[in-house]
Amino acid sequence: MTLLRKISVFALVGILSLSMSGLYGCGGASQTKALKIGVAGPETGGSAQLGQAQHRAIQLACDEINAANAAGEWKLEPYFEDDESDPTKSASATNKLIQQSNVNVVIASINSSCTLADMVVTERAGIPQITAGSTGASITEQGDKWIFRTAVNDELQANALVDYAVKTLGIKKASTLTAADSYGQSGATLLKAAAEKAGLNLVVTATYNGGDKDFKPQLLSMKEKGTEAIFLWGIYTEAALIANQARTLGINGQLFGASGMAAAKLIELGQGAVEGMLLTQSFLPDSPDAKVKDFVVAYKQKYNEDPIPHAAQAYDSVYILADAVKRANSNAPQALRDAIMNTSGLQLVTGSPKFDEKGNDVGKSVLITKIEKGKFVLVTKVISGQ
Amino acid sequence: MLDRMRGLPWWKIAGLALVLLLPLAVSNRYYLHVLNLVGIYSLVVIGLNLLSGYTGQVSMGQAGFFGVGAYVSALLMMRLNVPFVVAVSAATLVSALCGVVIGIPAMRLSGPYLVMATVGFGEIMRLIMVNWVPVTMGAAGLTGIPLPSFLGMQISSERGFYYLICAVLYLATLEALRLSNSKVGRTFLAIREDDLAAGAMGVPTDRYKVAAFAISAAYAGIAGALYGSFAGVASPDNFTFDVSVLLLCMSVVGGNRTIYGALVGALALTVFSEALRFLQGYRLIVYGAILLATVIFMPQGLSGLAPAVAQVFRRMHFPGHKGQNGVAGDKGETCR
Amino acid sequence: MQYLLNGLPIGATYALIALGYSLIYASAGVLNWAQGDMAMLGAYLAYTLNRIVGLGFLPSMLAAMACAALVGTLVERGVLRPLRRRASPSINLIIATLGVAIIARNLALIVWGPDPQLFPSPVGSRTVSIGSLNLLPQDLLIVGVAIFLMLLLQYFLRFTREGKALRAVAQDRMAASLMGIVVERSDSVAFATSAALGAAAGILIAPLFFVTFNMGAVIGIKGFVAAVVGGLGNIPGAIAGGFVLGLTEAVAGGKISSGYRDAISFGVLILVLWLRPSGLFSRVNRAKV
Repeated sequence: MTLLRKISVFALVGILSLSMSGLYGCGGASQTKALKIGVAGPETGGSAQLGQAQHRAIQLACDEINAANAAGEWKLEPYFEDDESDPTKSASATNKLIQQSNVNVVIASINSSCTLADMVVTERAGIPQITAGSTGASITEQGDKWIFRTAVNDELQANALVDYAVKTLGIKKASTLTAADSYGQSGATLLKAAAEKAGLNLVVTATYNGGDKDFKPQLLSMKEKGTEAIFLWGIYTEAALIANQARTLGINGQLFGASGMAAAKLIELGQGAVEGMLLTQSFLPDSPDAKVKDFVVAYKQKYNEDPIPHAAQAYDSVYILADAVKRANSNAPQALRDAIMNTSGLQLVTGSPKFDEKGNDVGKSVLITKIEKGKFVLVTKVISGQ
Repeated sequence: MLDRMRGLPWWKIAGLALVLLLPLAVSNRYYLHVLNLVGIYSLVVIGLNLLSGYTGQVSMGQAGFFGVGAYVSALLMMRLNVPFVVAVSAATLVSALCGVVIGIPAMRLSGPYLVMATVGFGEIMRLIMVNWVPVTMGAAGLTGIPLPSFLGMQISSERGFYYLICAVLYLATLEALRLSNSKVGRTFLAIREDDLAAGAMGVPTDRYKVAAFAISAAYAGIAGALYGSFAGVASPDNFTFDVSVLLLCMSVVGGNRTIYGALVGALALTVFSEALRFLQGYRLIVYGAILLATVIFMPQGLSGLAPAVAQVFRRMHFPGHKGQNGVAGDKGETCR
Repeated sequence: MQYLLNGLPIGATYALIALGYSLIYASAGVLNWAQGDMAMLGAYLAYTLNRIVGLGFLPSMLAAMACAALVGTLVERGVLRPLRRRASPSINLIIATLGVAIIARNLALIVWGPDPQLFPSPVGSRTVSIGSLNLLPQDLLIVGVAIFLMLLLQYFLRFTREGKALRAVAQDRMAASLMGIVVERSDSVAFATSAALGAAAGILIAPLFFVTFNMGAVIGIKGFVAAVVGGLGNIPGAIAGGFVLGLTEAVAGGKISSGYRDAISFGVLILVLWLRPSGLFSRVNRAKV
């Protein structure tokens, strides 16, 4: 037993030393002008499909930009870290990216709680941060001058959906079924406010936990109260399940959803149940717009799957950075930050980005789309401010 | 004080010097950040060791107490402008109270039933954090938690936090050691070894079990309060069941029968988790394998290796002597 | 009434997982944290066989259950036996199966990717209406197959040699080994059977809830709660616990509050444990002096 113990001791010491050396990330000095982009996202865990899509899209964008020299003399170097949707790990990942890999800018994260945790790190370090996936309202309300958000505006979406329901469809009684995470809670609050403004009666406001599979209790109580429409706010896995179960229970009201669930996967999983569903998004994979087409084709060719909205938003974020570093001709944090703030005139996949003083991208297009015959079809475009 | 130091073995003095001078030598703030996290987790795990290792009450709900500490401290500072030290103390107290609340139903339970109850408690705490929106701000959590400030100074750098956490950890460890070597500690052990016999000997086991819960909750609470100011944000995502599981793993991997085991476990698992990042998708698989291997081959945890290391050391320095195996009073089964 | 009907297939699923926990706990005295992940593995294997290789539903299901049984045996041999041999405290066993769960989950993530997969139901997805109540054919299939498996398990435990050996070991490990029963072997049998039951549960719910790499996590916890409510180690109790939990969730979630639904379930659980520390249905435990 003692011999075994001794061997284990040495083995453990060996592993520990090896892992210590593993702590040295790949952050060598480059001769060429390099813009180092740190990316933190959930590559494992419950939001893995979002984080991995973000990873792929950013890699694609960097490759394209480097190949086409679209950032002037600058080359883009992405560094990826997994945050497992855990705010503590996200903050560590961001710390590592900044201190170890010496990145000049950070794209993080997807879950709002992680983004908020990362903002503490980037603000203390004075590094610009873009979130391409977090839509929580509090993110741009912190008075943090380093944060930018290219994720599409939740408030606009909620208002657009409710207005459409009341004015175009004449719906009087509706319910909301939202995820019990920061994304869903933000949606619930916004939907409630929009409903009050438009005079829509919300008969049931229910929530569900991420990973929940059974929504029949909530749906049943909605059916009993005579709901004509259900507003969903979450990601596509649960949305597809909810749609299925609603139809099974005999609820035939109109379903509404937002950009978080607007992906081809929603149609694949929901099939007939999601037919006719109305969703707001800023990215329509079947759009005739040339930029969108090119992106979808390139993404599909490289990764053999359709891009989801998070991918499109991440892709655009990289292009914004490329443009910013070209104009600033410097990767110093303050210069970069100012250059990002002054972004204008770019035509990207999800619209023409323009940042307000809080860091929100107000140039994003918001489209109301409908699922018809298994595809997203454009219904109308919402101009911000209306 | 110097008198006491004279009697200390050289490696203890060296260790102390290393700990105090470390932040001056290490300029990489990321490393300090990781060490600070280790320190905070160690605090929680010390409490967990007292509860699960000494008293034998396995808890998979410590994240709940951790969260209570963070939220109470943060809310007191942000809403009522309570100074840092008062807020932390209050948070510890509230957390200890929660420990009593779960301790009372839990005292009748054992084995998997107890585990279940603690899991339930942890989840209930988290759900309150998510759903009690007017107070806890719901799923998005609290932001802009104030930095620690007392005696006129404010702690804002990794280095500053390092010293603060070290100080708290040192005091906490001393207290835990004192506790474990006292009558209370021995009673805990008695409860773990044979609950029934202890009761038959006249020990009010119920009261001690509740006390154990309260103490472990207090440790988690103070750690949570520190964490809130350290991270600047606190949300329900920080206090999930997975975090409870992680804490339990640290406890077991480090060796839950010793107090130092808490520090070893927290260090080992945090370092592994961070260092294995280069493995990308395979990282968690290796992590799981390490857990498995540790638990199978080192049932007393890493700190159980201490006797073996000491033995190797002795053999190297005194080649003539035959090593002594398992001498009673050595580190291992006794309270340390 | 529809609420209760909704709770049935969920309850049946919880019951199957709970059976797995109870079986292993009764015979081997171990809490198998990877039980939920057996469901996930079973679902993925059946999905691969059915959708990619092209086998029919029933052969896919049986093959997947067999594979899961094999994995269960491997876990017992590779993890449980070394731990037993070293007389490790029970908490180590929990952590060990936890390690297995983490490995299984992330392996699945790498092999099948993070996206949920669609598993079409073998009995179609057109709603069946009986009066004002609505059902899916898959719901009926779940309840039917689950009951069939439970009956099969009872037959196995009562009338086969392996089953009787299992029960003997569950009752008194030392005495059983004195009587010539190879206890390690019956541990393997327990693990294999539990894994197969878990896999069956996963396959049955896959058409309803899609196949994801972390579906085992939530199901595992709920199944565990069900097993504890019914009395851990108590086979009929596990079944009852599963249905009780499923029905409670269905009613509480709809009538009381959806946000605090899980909190209510856990609250009820803690209450039950306080009043009956060994579960609702277990006979009073003879304290081993």
